[in-house]
Amino acid sequence: MPTVTIDGETIDVSGDKPLLQECLNMGTELPHFCYHPAMSAPANCRQCMVEVGTPVRDRETGELKLDDEGNPEIQWMPKLMTSCTVQVTDGMVVKTHRTSEKAKRGQKDTLEFLLINHPLDCPICDQAGKCPLQIQAYKYGPEGSRFEFRKVHKPKRVKLGPRVTLDAERCINCTRCTRFTEEISGSCQLTISERGVKNYPITMPGQPFDDPYSMNTIDLCPVGALTSTDSRFKARAWEMSRTPSITTLNARGSNCYYMVRDNLIMEVVPRQNMQVNEYWLPDEERVGWAYERFNDMRPAHGPELRSDGELTPVSWERATDAASKALGAVDPSEILFLGSAHATVEDNYLLKRLAEALGADAPRYIPHIDAGHDDDWLRTDDRTPNAQGCERLGIHPIDADVVRSRVEAGEIKAVYVLDDDPVGAGLFTEDQLDDLIVVLHYYNTTNQTLPVTDVALPAAMVVETVGTYVNDHGHAQTVRPAKTIKEVNRTLMMATGKSRPDMHGTPFDRWHNDDNQVDCLPGWEVLPMVAAHLDIDLSYKGPKAIMAEVSEENPAFAGATHEAMGLQGVRLEDVGEPA
Amino acid sequence: MEATNGKTKAGDWQNFERILLPPIRDLHKLDVYEAEYDGYQAIQKVLKEWEPGEVVNEVKQANVRGRGGAAFNAGLKWSFMPPKGDRPRYLACNADESEPGTYKDRQLMEYNPHLMFEGILLANYAMQMDACYVYVRGEYVDWIDHMERELEKLYAKGYVGENIFGSDFSTDIILHKGAGAYICGEETSLMNSLEGKRGYPRIKPPFPAQKGLWGNPTTINNVETLAHVTLVMRHGADWFSGIGAPTHPGSTIYGISGHLNRPGVYEYPTGMLITDLIEKVCGGMRDGKKLKAVVPGGSSVPPLHADMIEGVTMDADSLREAGSMMGTGGMLVLNEDTDMVTYLRRVNHFYQHESCGQCTPCREGTGWLEAIVTRIDEGEGNLRDLDLLIDLCDQMEGRTICAFADAAAWPVRYTIERFREDFEAKCKPAVFDTGGVTISA
Ligand SMILES: Cc1cc2nc3c(=O)[nH]c(=O)nc-3n(C[C@H](O)[C@H](O)[C@H](O)COP(=O)(O)O)c2cc1C
Ligand code: SF4
Ligand code: SF4
Ligand code: FES
Repeated sequence: MPTVTIDGETIDVSGDKPLLQECLNMGTELPHFCYHPAMSAPANCRQCMVEVGTPVRDRETGELKLDDEGNPEIQWMPKLMTSCTVQVTDGMVVKTHRTSEKAKRGQKDTLEFLLINHPLDCPICDQAGKCPLQIQAYKYGPEGSRFEFRKVHKPKRVKLGPRVTLDAERCINCTRCTRFTEEISGSCQLTISERGVKNYPITMPGQPFDDPYSMNTIDLCPVGALTSTDSRFKARAWEMSRTPSITTLNARGSNCYYMVRDNLIMEVVPRQNMQVNEYWLPDEERVGWAYERFNDMRPAHGPELRSDGELTPVSWERATDAASKALGAVDPSEILFLGSAHATVEDNYLLKRLAEALGADAPRYIPHIDAGHDDDWLRTDDRTPNAQGCERLGIHPIDADVVRSRVEAGEIKAVYVLDDDPVGAGLFTEDQLDDLIVVLHYYNTTNQTLPVTDVALPAAMVVETVGTYVNDHGHAQTVRPAKTIKEVNRTLMMATGKSRPDMHGTPFDRWHNDDNQVDCLPGWEVLPMVAAHLDIDLSYKGPKAIMAEVSEENPAFAGATHEAMGLQGVRLEDVGEPA
Repeated sequence: MEATNGKTKAGDWQNFERILLPPIRDLHKLDVYEAEYDGYQAIQKVLKEWEPGEVVNEVKQANVRGRGGAAFNAGLKWSFMPPKGDRPRYLACNADESEPGTYKDRQLMEYNPHLMFEGILLANYAMQMDACYVYVRGEYVDWIDHMERELEKLYAKGYVGENIFGSDFSTDIILHKGAGAYICGEETSLMNSLEGKRGYPRIKPPFPAQKGLWGNPTTINNVETLAHVTLVMRHGADWFSGIGAPTHPGSTIYGISGHLNRPGVYEYPTGMLITDLIEKVCGGMRDGKKLKAVVPGGSSVPPLHADMIEGVTMDADSLREAGSMMGTGGMLVLNEDTDMVTYLRRVNHFYQHESCGQCTPCREGTGWLEAIVTRIDEGEGNLRDLDLLIDLCDQMEGRTICAFADAAAWPVRYTIERFREDFEAKCKPAVFDTGGVTISA
């Protein structure tokens, strides 16, 4: 294995990564803008400069030449080298800004150049607070500017496409965005136009930047040149907390951060997970409805019961009692339990245990397949985050024809639905359910089953709960709450960890706002309450304990404890058809 | 000091007979080139009698130094090509000629394009190239049209294409028009442009010989360099290296402009005394004015002060010693009335306008240099601006992907260094804020 000495510290390196990456991996920060590990290195920002030397070898023998003290003689390259393009070779010696005045000066000089035409409108820029240019200029840049001229003016507020807005004056021409469309998404929609200092990225005339992954360029952009049309100017970086989680509109469970202010989800941004989504996120996971469903479309009241034909708010105690009565009123063989590929493994597991304890049929789930949506990347035909989790629990897709004819024949008298919408999904019509008892755990007021629901139980969503989802490749991942709910729940409060972008928040720092708390509860809290009214014991110390049991008992979940899943998840064994 | 007794490295240049641009009427036509200038004899001889490797050696031995600017031995450059394998291999003929003060390739393409075409065939044979792309400056419309017609004739006669001259060697020549960017003359940018990409220079390594056009082994040579190859293979390496300066032999086309009585394009041996070129070739300074500066090889080489040119000859070694470079051989001669600040302002504007914009120091630095020099030129500058200019040169040189940033910084550094009085005269006098205390000088 080759070794390199960086600022006097000798380390083993793989040799297949550029020097910059090796430095970053060993924890030596090097300022840089254009380099991104997933893309080619154009070395255009000229920021990552270091001094590089290689050991001198005797021309004939190939032996290392030694100096008077017996150390290898080093030949230093005359120019500063961009570390992002230096291939590491054995014995290489590197001086970064920490030990080399020359490197320090080079880095400072580049930053001075980068800032001369930059508008420095940080006070109104969405990137401020998380901006690599801002951060690195403070750390490595000059104190002031010697530039005393009018800055270059370029187009501003350019709608590149439906989701991305460009401010060309802020652009530092790193070409990360254009390389993304060329090398990663393949749409080739962006290119650099003009020359020299007038350079900026743009689409071909008349062509919208509608790449389904276009918003990744916003995250890649090291400045505030590319912003989200949807969320620009809405929240400053430091006003939001940032919770590592996953997105749920595709079976891939791409990793993300939910950005929260005032207990509202403001933005969804990608989070690196090399086994799942690498660095990327499809646009559809983070525009419009994709996050508004966490805010505006939530129930205004807590649980409700139908009385005199109207849903009326009641306490959780009464609601769960009513739910248990509904179950107790009919023969267990007449209950249809619907699990959910939207819900966590924990919630589905408890539902399955409840059905078992009552002697009812095992729950089924409603598949949500959008044929042709799959793009061989992060979008999948299956639009739910946990179908695999259901399957591994032995919860299978419902046979719509069979269950409909059973309803028609009056063989089903009660339907217990976990986090789904059987009417909206087209499984049943309102008429078909009208005469049945319907208990519904639901997320959004747009749920079309609500008009025929007798017991309505608002459920905590992925941004409010703790739980596990298994993606289409069998990758099990836990989530933690990004926003708080109205009810006091110790587990959820404990799981609300440090999440400010600067990592200095307190555990309760959610940029709290009571007004925006939803009166909902996670399935793993409500189901044991319902069970208790039926004298069935489903009590656990929380979702962690539930997963401990599942991973212990069910080989399809072996190893998937909350501790093991952490922030990057666990790849489950493929155990074939579960029993 | 070089030869003051009338004999210079250029030898008996007064009686030099032009070889690149011989005085033959209609030489640009194939039949004339063949009938009156031994056209396409060298390639036929070589195809029959020479191994490719021998051609490389001959050119190397002749020491044909690249005429595109860097003066690198062409044969040596050719020898860096990897052995022929499965991958296609390409030659690129650099005819983008955009360096200010340079118009020699244009003369070749206008008056003797077949010398270049034959050189291309020889190079293609020597390096076993599948094709040569000729990247021509887009503004050279007339000569492109003409060369296209001539090239058609070459294809029709079987001089280019399948089994050229009945041999078992096949090779193509493709003419490509540039779109008017100076940077596309930089060899790696030229390749990107040929590939249909933005004319952004590439990082080296990998060098073109390893990974050039479409990732395949490629060599890039200037038009004039390739024209010389024909002459080398026609007359032999010894003949060639006997002409002009021993370390930088051959003839060359001097494009001389400026305050002269007879500016123009002249072919003479290398190693000409700059003073001979000014006084004898170009008839001396116009209106009897005094010489102020000579920019010997295109706008990006360091200008020489009139005091510095005594005995300096036009070849890489002598010019390096004098503090400049041979560059393209496009020489600009300026008289005593020239304000070097204004001159520099114009040069800076060119580089500001032509920077491809990839590298931060070049993209931002070229504009900043221009802004400061403009301010000085307009009488608004301060003396400290001169230090700032030199600082900015330090911040640009050697810190970019291609040599453009150096080419933009050198004129600034050396014009200030060598003509400082012009700058000082235009700067506002230094004002010291002494807080009311009088300081006697
Ligand atoms: C900014 C820049 C512009 C250049 N422009 C030209 C040009 O217009 N024509 C040319 O022949 N070489 C040009 N060159 C030099 C080429 O990169 C290359 O060295 C040359 O074509 C090699 O040919 P030669 O070895 O035959 O000289 C330029 C170099 C730089 C850095
Ligand atoms: S818009 Fe952003 S990502 Fe694109 S080139 Fe400019 S700075 Fe780089
Ligand atoms: S030095 Fe200038 S011209 Fe050359 S690649 Fe960099 S920005 Fe482009
Ligand atoms: S990160 Fe190395 S040059 Fe931009």
